[in-house]
Amino acid sequence: MYKLMFLSAALLTTAAHATAYPLTLTDDTGRKVTLKAEPLRIVSFLPSNTETICAIGGCDKLVGVDEYSDFPASVTRLPKVGNLYQPNIEAVVALKPDLVIVSKYGDLTAPLTNAGINVLAVNPETYEDVFSKTQLLGKIINRQAQATALVTQMRRDIARVEILAKNAVKKPTAYYEIDPTPYTVGPNSFVGVLLSKAGGANIIPAALGDFPKISPELVVKSAPQLIFGVDLATAKARPGWNTIPAVKSGRVIKDDALDHILSRPGPRLPQAFLGLAKLVHPELFK
Amino acid sequence: MSAVKTFPRRAASSPALPTLFLLAATLATVLLAVGLGSVPISPADTLKAIGHGLSGAELSGNDVIVWQLRLPRVALGWLVGAALGVSGGAFQGVFRNPLADPYLMGVASGAGLGATLVIALGLATLWLPLFALTGAMLSVFTALLIAREGNRLPPARLILAGVVVGSILTAFTTYLLLQNADRIRQVFAFTLGNLAFAGWPQVGRLLPYVLIGGGALLLLARALNTLQLGDLTARSLGLPVERLRLLVIVAASLCTAGAVSYAGIIGFIGLVTPHLVRRLWGADHRILLPISAIAGGTLLVLSDLLARTLTRPAELPVGVVTTLLGGPFFLYLLRRQKT
Repeated sequence: MYKLMFLSAALLTTAAHATAYPLTLTDDTGRKVTLKAEPLRIVSFLPSNTETICAIGGCDKLVGVDEYSDFPASVTRLPKVGNLYQPNIEAVVALKPDLVIVSKYGDLTAPLTNAGINVLAVNPETYEDVFSKTQLLGKIINRQAQATALVTQMRRDIARVEILAKNAVKKPTAYYEIDPTPYTVGPNSFVGVLLSKAGGANIIPAALGDFPKISPELVVKSAPQLIFGVDLATAKARPGWNTIPAVKSGRVIKDDALDHILSRPGPRLPQAFLGLAKLVHPELFK
Repeated sequence: MSAVKTFPRRAASSPALPTLFLLAATLATVLLAVGLGSVPISPADTLKAIGHGLSGAELSGNDVIVWQLRLPRVALGWLVGAALGVSGGAFQGVFRNPLADPYLMGVASGAGLGATLVIALGLATLWLPLFALTGAMLSVFTALLIAREGNRLPPARLILAGVVVGSILTAFTTYLLLQNADRIRQVFAFTLGNLAFAGWPQVGRLLPYVLIGGGALLLLARALNTLQLGDLTARSLGLPVERLRLLVIVAASLCTAGAVSYAGIIGFIGLVTPHLVRRLWGADHRILLPISAIAGGTLLVLSDLLARTLTRPAELPVGVVTTLLGGPFFLYLLRRQKT
């Protein structure tokens, strides 16, 4: 079945053609945007979009990035234009971009379009978004073949790990904390999907939504075997948490480097996924 | 002074009845709050768990949830509510202003800045109470220093100094938040109040603030009554008005700062509770202050009970519940009050 998938992906690659400009599309804020020609001077305001653009061979088109864009290393040398919420509009205008790629958050569209600059919001949020937005960015910057190849590669890398995890005998129950309020992730969120693909059983019911604030009672009651996003000392100090199996066995993991790439719905998704799977099922990756 | 009129010295016809009701409500609220939560536990099991906890026996199953999560959460909530209630009553008395609340002297913004610093710098959350407390007390002392006029502490200057010091600190907080947008929700949670990780150690650490601050306020209750006659009259009766004002502000701020550093900034309890108590028990601070403490504690435990059960097993921020309950209730009191 996977062979079939690769075959069809390969077919798609050969079928991919150059983007025809002018290109009109509806962006993630619902605006109709027309690109008159292939963008050559791009400013990116989202680290994940920056990574994707570079991964499909558009790095040389970038003339500026937001201050959080730090991968690949080459983008750190580009002029910084602030961030979505504190943008340096003058710096953006001075770079004379022919396209600024923003998020649907922040209010950059109006000031930039008023300055005569073309703005487009691309917002990867869900697991499938990572792939569809990669294809979309490929279309926007005329790198469709590369985008398709990247998506194929990413899906293949993820599938390899996923199959291993799927065959695991035991699925440890897991709790993933995003901040100590505590907020956590539901099974349908980006991280929630990765967690279950990695062979972990999320203790949070889907009915609570993607980013619920939950009662610590629920965590104690669910007795997860794995806890992410908290360090062991903090977990031990929380009332009643020393009875949780994960805390007893020390499988309480705060991996800042992994959390960092997990927060980027971009081309490093397979790498993040592999990292997560290794933590959920260390026995499979010896 | 017209402000005196807002505190009618009318003794309630029968304070025994409301007192009885308050005690019954307190008992009922505490029982419900220990019995209900995101995990359903039967009353029998709850009692058994408390028995195990008290006897120091090994805790198993739901025992942990009742004894280590729910009980301390109720206890901390009650202490925080009591601290806010008694400080609110004292602030309203010392400023002779019904709009005063425990956060008047910048306690909330100081604590907020302290908490934001911990979160923005990425320090362990164990540091949060200490930073919040330090921020709160520093902002109060700054406001006191600025408002001082020789040996005097004029109420209007105090209020203005408190409000402006608070605004300046909030500006710093907002700036830090924008620089650390990814951690914004954590700070937001603090500013809405949070009792989620209340444990016995926190209860033990907050207790001295409430006992010392609240105790001092109760001792000053008689003097606060005299102060209601106005500064001039109070002074002519031999009351050291400025020293009293300083003592009340420091004691109430200490109480509030302790509460804020462990539970975040919980709104409306400190403002509404004394108003409610004054309507039913009258404005004698010897009664107003202790009753405000009890009522404040009970109201907060009740709000937290709603916060953790209305959407269970998810939770609402407790500050949202206190404000949604307290706000309309305050407006109702305002409409009914005859001037």
